[in-house]
Amino acid sequence: MLVGLDVRPVHVEAYIGRGEVAFVLVGLATTTVKEARERVRAAIRNSALDFPTTRLAVNLAPAELRKDGTGLDLPIAVAIALARAEKRPPPNSAFLGELALDGSVRHVDGVLVAARGLRELGYERVFVPAPDAAEASLVDGLEVIPCVSLAAVVNHLLAVEPIPAARSTPAGARAESVVEHDLREVHGQEEAKRALEVAAAGGHHLLMSGPPGGGKTMLARCLPGILPPLELDEALEVAQVRSLLGDLPPGRPLDWTRPFRAPHHGISTAGLVGGGSGLAQPGEISRATHGVLFLDELAEFQAPVLQALRQPLETGWVTITRSGGSVRYPARFTLVAATNPCPCGWAGDGIRSCRCTPAAVDTYQRRLSGPLLDRIDLQVAARRVGLEQLSSEPMGETSAVVRQRVIAARKRQLDRQGCLNAQLKPARLRQFASLAPHSRRTLERWSVQRGMTARGFHRAWRVARTAADLDGSPEIEEPHVLEALGFRLNDVAA
Amino acid sequence: MSPPELRVRGRWPPPEGPRAAIVGSRRPSPYGEAVAEQLALELARAGVVIVSGLALGIDAAAHRGALNAGGATVAVMGTGVDIVYPAAHSKLAEDILAAGGALVSQFPDGTAPRRHNFPARNYTMASLSDVVIVVEAAEGSGALITAEAALDLHKEVMAVPGSVFSPLSVGTHALLRDGAGLVQNARDVMAVLHPGGEVLDDPLAAPRSFGFKLRPERDGILSHLSDVLALNAAELARKLQLPVAEVLGRLTALELDGAVKRHQGGYVRALRRGKERA
Repeated sequence: MLVGLDVRPVHVEAYIGRGEVAFVLVGLATTTVKEARERVRAAIRNSALDFPTTRLAVNLAPAELRKDGTGLDLPIAVAIALARAEKRPPPNSAFLGELALDGSVRHVDGVLVAARGLRELGYERVFVPAPDAAEASLVDGLEVIPCVSLAAVVNHLLAVEPIPAARSTPAGARAESVVEHDLREVHGQEEAKRALEVAAAGGHHLLMSGPPGGGKTMLARCLPGILPPLELDEALEVAQVRSLLGDLPPGRPLDWTRPFRAPHHGISTAGLVGGGSGLAQPGEISRATHGVLFLDELAEFQAPVLQALRQPLETGWVTITRSGGSVRYPARFTLVAATNPCPCGWAGDGIRSCRCTPAAVDTYQRRLSGPLLDRIDLQVAARRVGLEQLSSEPMGETSAVVRQRVIAARKRQLDRQGCLNAQLKPARLRQFASLAPHSRRTLERWSVQRGMTARGFHRAWRVARTAADLDGSPEIEEPHVLEALGFRLNDVAA
Repeated sequence: MSPPELRVRGRWPPPEGPRAAIVGSRRPSPYGEAVAEQLALELARAGVVIVSGLALGIDAAAHRGALNAGGATVAVMGTGVDIVYPAAHSKLAEDILAAGGALVSQFPDGTAPRRHNFPARNYTMASLSDVVIVVEAAEGSGALITAEAALDLHKEVMAVPGSVFSPLSVGTHALLRDGAGLVQNARDVMAVLHPGGEVLDDPLAAPRSFGFKLRPERDGILSHLSDVLALNAAELARKLQLPVAEVLGRLTALELDGAVKRHQGGYVRALRRGKERA
């Protein structure tokens, strides 16, 4: 059984005793599990197996764990069938699947999560619904038995007719990662493109500000394409979240492309960070893990929704507690936020003038400030490119070229400090990102002149480290610091 | 029409002398702000009382310029004289009072800012001044209402030209086309205020500048920047054929030195105001 991404094995015991006809299910089962009685009874009868005609007790252990989900149908039916045949189940085996009334085995969500967890708990063999076998066989060192029907499973267990184990799914070539949006297609916007490159290289969050139609969305969509393809662990983690939500494409469970999630600004807190009744479901931030979370029209999101992003932005995890218990989901994503400079969107545009009152602009921008903005390392103004420029603009670099530089810069960081620059805490920053003397002076001068907070200081420092890594420079030189400071919008001159 | 009865904080009537209203956009370009401040400073030095509306942008720059010259300045408010709007200008209002200026309003004490009160305030401002100078006004700007009121009251209207690319020039250029006086420096205004006096400059000579001192060139970047229209690092990088990261860094260095500033998502040249010039 799954509690978020945690796997809790449930032991199913069946006892056929004397007494009047009854089917008792004990062990803190929720409604879906209690309903299993009817499905199991029908499935066993329709599989040409005997259903016990005396007293039948099924116990789900450990008793204190609340049992939920239809995945327990198959193990309950198997336990009954084996009890009837007076056989023991094979050792170190686990069963998972929903039963149809005709005895066939149906898909359940989260098979990949279950398979990985069971492997870690020492299980060697897992019986899963046939449609989910490809998902389960992504896990190394686990024998996967695809189950079409209850009858087939019982025949296998009674050694009448064994089912061949599913072949392990080839992970597929990593080169399969497709670049859907190429930077080459974005005209102009070199400043924002450079910001994207720095964001990709150092894992920094990015805010783009600019008028509507300025290409902010297009730029954001280019980010996954300049990030390196997923590592195996990362791809599995992405697939796990999708598996929980039943969202894995059948036949091709493992996708090497970085996720890109762009929830609408009307989204609820539960939708964004996860939630729901009973046990929390993963939200958009978990689906964006190892990829990009794009929040367009940042100022239109409700304040509490944005507040909820703070913990995951700091830790890369989100913990949600609901009546059914606490769950923890991964949420290590790159945040790309976009905003108009003012409510009407045209402040600062060279061609159209803005119709907002200064007070309205002020309120609008204040909505963006504060704790969330404080965690976004890079800020850049995207300006509208004139139509005549669109056609005359020289073609820029392709995503593939930029990605090479990003991969090289990331490798330097991982070799040096084992994580990306964006994740460096101040103490480790001092250790791994020493500033050349004149670089430090420049940074300090700016911070005094602009009244920058300590957090802002460290942010600029981290970005400077990434600029140096893109340059292949071991030291942070002054130009790197200056570039980092250039990617800041909201330092007011003192 | 006689000016409505006024409520006053500070010294009233203001010191003897001509009065010039300087009005304009609440969100000016650095150019407009510099012009308003410099113009107010030079006029105040020449004994002109600067009248404005205590609003953001051009109004505030005009008051500041007058204060920098040690002159008296009058803020005509659209709220009660006991309510400073915007609140951020309470320090400015205090400075005006401390320097022997005045806050005046036709509205009773306790009147909160209301949209429909401001046009009436603009009318009062025109009636209290001998000349209305508009610095940067987009189409439909409140400053144009002040200019219109001045025409109704048979006062002089003058305007400072701007860039033809800037939306903030639309209103001022329309005024100039319709016959408003051209303001290129404080002397242009003085000539209007003292019609009997003589302007000694050769009218055909190139006009002297306002006295802005630009920093000596440090590199090619500054010469590509305008003081009105913002360019961003990408646009500059293309002109200079340099990588955008390098241009961004150099712009930041110039910003650190105060030679450029951020404006509308890009950069403009910062005008250094010649505060000490008489």
